[in-house]
Amino acid sequence: MRRIIYSWSFMLVLACCIGCSTTDQGPASSVVEGSEIRVYEVFGMDCPGCQGGVEKLVKKIPAVQDAKADWKKKKLTVAVRPGSDLDDEDVLDAIRRANFTPGKRIQ
Amino acid sequence: MKRLLLLIFIMAVAQIAERVNAAGISVDAGLTPAEDRWIFRTQMRYMRGKDDPAPTDREMEMYAFPVVMAYGFRSDVTLLVKQVTKYRKMTMAGSVSRDIGLDDLYLLGKYRFYRRNTREYTFGIAPTLALELPTGDDDFTSDTWDLEPGLFVSWRSGPWASDLNAAYKWNGFADDGRAGLNPGDEISIDLALARQFSIGGSSDTSIAPVLEFSYGHISPDDLSGHDVSNTGESLFFISPGAKFTRLSFILEALVQIPAWQDQKGSQLEQGTRFIIGARYMF
Repeated sequence: MRRIIYSWSFMLVLACCIGCSTTDQGPASSVVEGSEIRVYEVFGMDCPGCQGGVEKLVKKIPAVQDAKADWKKKKLTVAVRPGSDLDDEDVLDAIRRANFTPGKRIQ
Repeated sequence: MKRLLLLIFIMAVAQIAERVNAAGISVDAGLTPAEDRWIFRTQMRYMRGKDDPAPTDREMEMYAFPVVMAYGFRSDVTLLVKQVTKYRKMTMAGSVSRDIGLDDLYLLGKYRFYRRNTREYTFGIAPTLALELPTGDDDFTSDTWDLEPGLFVSWRSGPWASDLNAAYKWNGFADDGRAGLNPGDEISIDLALARQFSIGGSSDTSIAPVLEFSYGHISPDDLSGHDVSNTGESLFFISPGAKFTRLSFILEALVQIPAWQDQKGSQLEQGTRFIIGARYMF
């Protein structure tokens, strides 16, 4: 039994190390020069985990180069892939599928 | 050993995952992944039975290791599966017995009936329906199919969060258990309150003190229409805890302190329980 507890605890510590060392630079630092930046209001996010949920779905849109959400400011910043035509409705749909409600596009 | 390897494999898969979501610590119904996303949760729970009212000087210690996978089938539908591995040590009149094995498999579906997200607050209502299959090892299975309808209500405003979960577990809804024994039904009500504090000015990391209030009632088992003695209890826990959130990763810990309890017959009293665990969304 002790072996199971020690193994489980070791995995937890390992998970903590990896989870805490994860960094997220967001569009501001990862976008190549010339990308169009759009900012949308998002309602319903209440913790850092919510940010990840919406970012992941928005990043799946081919015309999106990068996305960064902020649960405190209730905003989603999207960098459009250069040369692509991003439909706002695709972003709003991704926000809804992440269980949140899109507000207006503010930039 | 195979189970340990399976757990290591699941944890390894979780390492390549990205981010996670939030809710209470002792209840799984709050897990709500985005559409086509998964949440993985693992915990270690310690509980103890003590203060034997009979002269047998019994004591019970239990470690439970639940592994939960929740999937966002649609933006409004969550599917969840939970498998608990348990270790139990019983001491009675100086002799010790130890059991280790799997508990029954638990499946849950949640439908977001109503959700309102505004600039000021978020409010949601989601009915749940769970099924517990008699798949566990002999020492831990209830031997019955159990149905558990429930209701999950969440409210958020700024950094404040609260979740209310109420469920009625209809044990043996389709059959009787071993030797015609019908396990007593269960009522559980859990209220979780939390407040997020950002760390370092970034929105990527936060810590949240949590306070849970949990009431549970288990009816006495039934055998041929008669209550079985020394079965059935009511419990009320007050549980302080904390969650540390870093993007999709959550580390969580909770101490469940029994504030009131009423056991039928010569059952052991419940001691303080401890929960520590982690969550990922990927």
